[in-house]
Amino acid sequence: MTGNNKGRGARIAPNSMMLRRTLILMIVCGIALFLVLVVRLFQLQIIRHDFYETKAIEQQVWDTEVTAARGTIYDANGDILAMSASVATIYISPREVYTYDIVDADSPHFTVALTEEFIAEGLAEILEIEPQVVLDKLAKKDRQYETIALKVEPSVSERVRQFKKDYDIDGLYLQEDSKRYYPYSSLASHVIGYVGAENRGLLGLELVYDDYLTGVDGRIVRAKNAVGTDMLFTSFEDYYDAVDGYDMGVTIDSTIQYYMEKHLAQAARDFDLLNGAGAIAMDVKTAKILGMVSLGNFDLNNYQDVSEDVKALIDAEPDPELASQMLTEAQLQQWRNKTVTDTYEPGSTFKILTLAMALNEGVVHENDGYYCGGSIDVPGRQPVNCWKAGGHGAQTLTQALQHSCNVAFVQIGMRLGAEKFYDYAEAFGLFEAQTDKDVYLTGKTGIDLNGESGSMWWPENLFTNPDNKTQLAAASFGQTFTITPLQLITAVSACVNGGNLMRPYLVEEIIDSEGVSIMKREPELIRQVISSQTSAEVCRMLEMVVGDVEGTGKNAAVAGFRIGGKTGTSTNTVLEAETGEKQYIVSFVGVAPMDDPQIAILVFLDSPSADTGIYRSGGQMGAPTVGKMFADILPYMGIEPVYDEQEAAIIDKAVPDVSGMSADEASAKLSELGFTNRTMGTGELVTKQLPAAGSVIAAGSQVILYFGVEPGQGEATMPDLQGLTYAMARQKLAEQALFIRASGAITDPAQIIILSQSVGVGQKLEYGAVIEVSVIDTRDQNEF
Amino acid sequence: MAYKTVENSEKLRDYRGDIRISRGPIDAPFLMLTLLLLTIGVVMVFSASYASAYYDLKDETGGNASYYFTRQLLFAVGGIIVMLLASRMPVNFYRKCAIWVLIGAGVLMVVVLVIGVGNEQATRWINLGPVTIQPSEIAKVGVILYFAHLICEYKNDMGTFRRGVLPFGIILVVLVGLLALQPHLSACIIILGIGFIMMFVGGTRTMWFVGGALLVAGLVGIMLFVVGYESERIGVWLDPFSDPRNDGFQVVQSLYAIGSGGLFGLGLGQSRQKYLYLPEEHNDYIFSIICEELGFIGATLILILFALLIIRGFWIALHCRDRYGFLVCTGITSLLAIQVLLNVAVCTNLVPATGISLPFFSYGGTALLMQLGEMGIILSISRDVPTRKIVKSRQIKKAAEQGV
Repeated sequence: MTGNNKGRGARIAPNSMMLRRTLILMIVCGIALFLVLVVRLFQLQIIRHDFYETKAIEQQVWDTEVTAARGTIYDANGDILAMSASVATIYISPREVYTYDIVDADSPHFTVALTEEFIAEGLAEILEIEPQVVLDKLAKKDRQYETIALKVEPSVSERVRQFKKDYDIDGLYLQEDSKRYYPYSSLASHVIGYVGAENRGLLGLELVYDDYLTGVDGRIVRAKNAVGTDMLFTSFEDYYDAVDGYDMGVTIDSTIQYYMEKHLAQAARDFDLLNGAGAIAMDVKTAKILGMVSLGNFDLNNYQDVSEDVKALIDAEPDPELASQMLTEAQLQQWRNKTVTDTYEPGSTFKILTLAMALNEGVVHENDGYYCGGSIDVPGRQPVNCWKAGGHGAQTLTQALQHSCNVAFVQIGMRLGAEKFYDYAEAFGLFEAQTDKDVYLTGKTGIDLNGESGSMWWPENLFTNPDNKTQLAAASFGQTFTITPLQLITAVSACVNGGNLMRPYLVEEIIDSEGVSIMKREPELIRQVISSQTSAEVCRMLEMVVGDVEGTGKNAAVAGFRIGGKTGTSTNTVLEAETGEKQYIVSFVGVAPMDDPQIAILVFLDSPSADTGIYRSGGQMGAPTVGKMFADILPYMGIEPVYDEQEAAIIDKAVPDVSGMSADEASAKLSELGFTNRTMGTGELVTKQLPAAGSVIAAGSQVILYFGVEPGQGEATMPDLQGLTYAMARQKLAEQALFIRASGAITDPAQIIILSQSVGVGQKLEYGAVIEVSVIDTRDQNEF
Repeated sequence: MAYKTVENSEKLRDYRGDIRISRGPIDAPFLMLTLLLLTIGVVMVFSASYASAYYDLKDETGGNASYYFTRQLLFAVGGIIVMLLASRMPVNFYRKCAIWVLIGAGVLMVVVLVIGVGNEQATRWINLGPVTIQPSEIAKVGVILYFAHLICEYKNDMGTFRRGVLPFGIILVVLVGLLALQPHLSACIIILGIGFIMMFVGGTRTMWFVGGALLVAGLVGIMLFVVGYESERIGVWLDPFSDPRNDGFQVVQSLYAIGSGGLFGLGLGQSRQKYLYLPEEHNDYIFSIICEELGFIGATLILILFALLIIRGFWIALHCRDRYGFLVCTGITSLLAIQVLLNVAVCTNLVPATGISLPFFSYGGTALLMQLGEMGIILSISRDVPTRKIVKSRQIKKAAEQGV
């Protein structure tokens, strides 16, 4: 360049090397490197666009699951049997948990040293668990989902949420969930069933109607900012509404169910049952199940907990593997609904069906005569013995039923013939006929409940073999074939309701959350098996079994009500083989009221102990249990008791209020009801009475009237009443100013025996206390 | 005065006495590009910042969504005034100031170590009430202005070590030493880069750059060794997804933003990553938001505008008849280029993360004033560039002299 050169500050032009180098710079910085950047942008924005977009949306979009509320289950009266409430499941994603031990007072973030220990202790305190449990889960760094607590109540989950927010804990999550509550805990546990952790029904109606109850979970998909609140102005948001599960009304009446469970549990204690018990109450006209019990019940809210006794047994087992196996077995056992899952030989209760068949065919009549000499010859087998050695002698058809005479019923079966018997048995729904006449037959009622087992009946050709009447003879008195208790009561209901075999059911109605009916169940007639006249005859004769002093079922009688029924006793061959001892299933099927049958109750007690001192038979154990149930249930159903004079005299009564009356007035009022009295003090008017007005006590009890004085301040001591008659027990208690009442039916106070008492021997009581006892009529013990 | 020595044949421009001879109009394309980028930048600050301003996690904005935008707009207006003022100043004014700017920056860099403010990792700012200043920003201009002066002084001696390397090396070592004490890696890189570019253009021999490159490599190595946090950056740079929630967080979030933009972007204002996912979204990482909202097309257009501005800057330098103006113009343009290139390279994870802001876009008042002031210096220099007519006549004359 040619610029002049006058020293400092002189104006000179850049030389050519400078220009050249600048040109290089220009190409590098102005073009080449920019091209690199553009290529990089192309790579990120075009080629890898999908990858980054997916990742970005993953973090920007918050997908919240909205759990559909599971439907509520109502009983026949609209009481809630099962309901759902919102809870939270708390889990951590150990991968995402971010810990540090810096503390910086100036920063809003680093307020505490957020160590794993800190998180673990915080959670443990809120959830009441061991911190180590949380620490162990936090240590699984490669895991994304470690559950800390399942189904946490809202009050607790709110504290967890606050904890997370306060310390800005990453990787700690709350997931909305719902929890099932069963307000009656163990009531009707086998029928209602329970739901598992995934809110899916696992047993009973919860399982059968799971699809209706569950509903459809919803989702909220929403763009959110990094701190979890909604983005401003931007709205990409999608709702998938949750559809709540349908509500369900069931035929179970929780009051009836309660009475059944109460008395069945009492029977289990009284008779020391080895293998549980079951009971079914059925509306005979519609075959609605009003109550269904299978002992032992379990708490639906903690369905995995086994009973205390079993738990103690399992805890005592040193081998953990064996212990867990024991637990599993015990759980399976307790979840088993004996009324539909177990099959048994019905025994003599089946004679109702044999009778109905024969009456309907006109081969027998109410006043036919039968002779029982103690045994009867049957072609193809040894003679059939009657349970009464020496036989019943001459008897009418009614008496044969009353006596539950096997010999007479074999004769009835023979008169009917195997073909007819077979056809009727099929018509009663005990099995389904097959075209192949040589296969064993089976059948079910088709009730809307899980776990129903099928019956076991002989092949048609075997049963109707003219040369071998073994099967026919055994079937006539209900042995060597098996059915479920539900099948029996369904068939018995058909016998007493005018002859109509109905399909049993539990769910009456399904409605959606708006109250719109989704399904309404109508009683389903399967077929008419017998005529209504035959049915009426059967009813008359069944009433004679309970209501007549000759009947084996008289322990089921309840003063004021017309009850019919039939006893049954059969052997539990399986348990017999296991224990090496004679084991019975004793049962009773009762029907009431006999002028217009409405309800049938079947109770079966599996393998009562031989050591209770009570003869193991349907009449001694089954009948009183059903009687006690009827005593509570029939008044509840609104059936008015009608007492005859004799009954009125012996039944327990409520003490009237006589305070303020004169001695004469009070005495008159009390004796009108059959109470005697004694007086204390010298006043004009009654100031106090023992027991208090309204207490129900035995007829003939002595009421204590106080005239101006207070009752003595001493204590009474509970005596032992077991084995005494009801009348004797009343006397014994009266000595200590105590009173008695029976939990079951009173037939004859001088005959019925105290089986158990509500207060333990030697316990201290206030004067005037009322002791409840269970009673049994043990006359003619030796009967089926 | 010294400025009267313009070739007489070129005296076609307005002549206004000794001080302001031959001053042409400022370079219109350069001005237009600057203003265009500035405008887009301010709009983008609004778009990028309103979420964080609204949520106000730093407790600064009071929840006013347009807080950052308003402030940036005011500084932009102020910056334009500064730019125009700077463009009116004669180039020699800057040359006279050069030494004082550099010394001032050096002093402030000592001061910042004593009274400076910053975060838990570094102290980089001096708080002056409403604004904060970064001495390193001033040092960058100081290096350019003073190195250009030195190069002019040494004229043809730049090839020697004593003149071409030593003085520059000493200044750079002192400055980098002071920066390392803060520590401030990105400023080190820029100052070294700009210093080397000045020396390169000024005529220092290529062999010294080879040596310098080795030296820098050594220094970086020591840096990595001494300052632990820098070595973590390298690991995160190589695989940001190895630690996406901590050290890799910014880079990962930036990549999410850029990647999800696609070809056309989500639309202006539609960024989702700015909702507190991407840190520094209106600052160092504003370019990622641009990519997300405007897509590949928008981002590329902005890069093209920058490229054009830089090319124009070099063009002005190449057409500058005065060596000092030429050097300053090259230096400032190179500074601009380094910042833009490095910023975008960081956002796209081409280089390890380091805090370099994007000129005209990143939020920050004093930085914007500085940048626009620097543009003003280039505009001032552009006044000395002959118009096309002059160039043409000059070429004719040159050809005539060579006897073509």
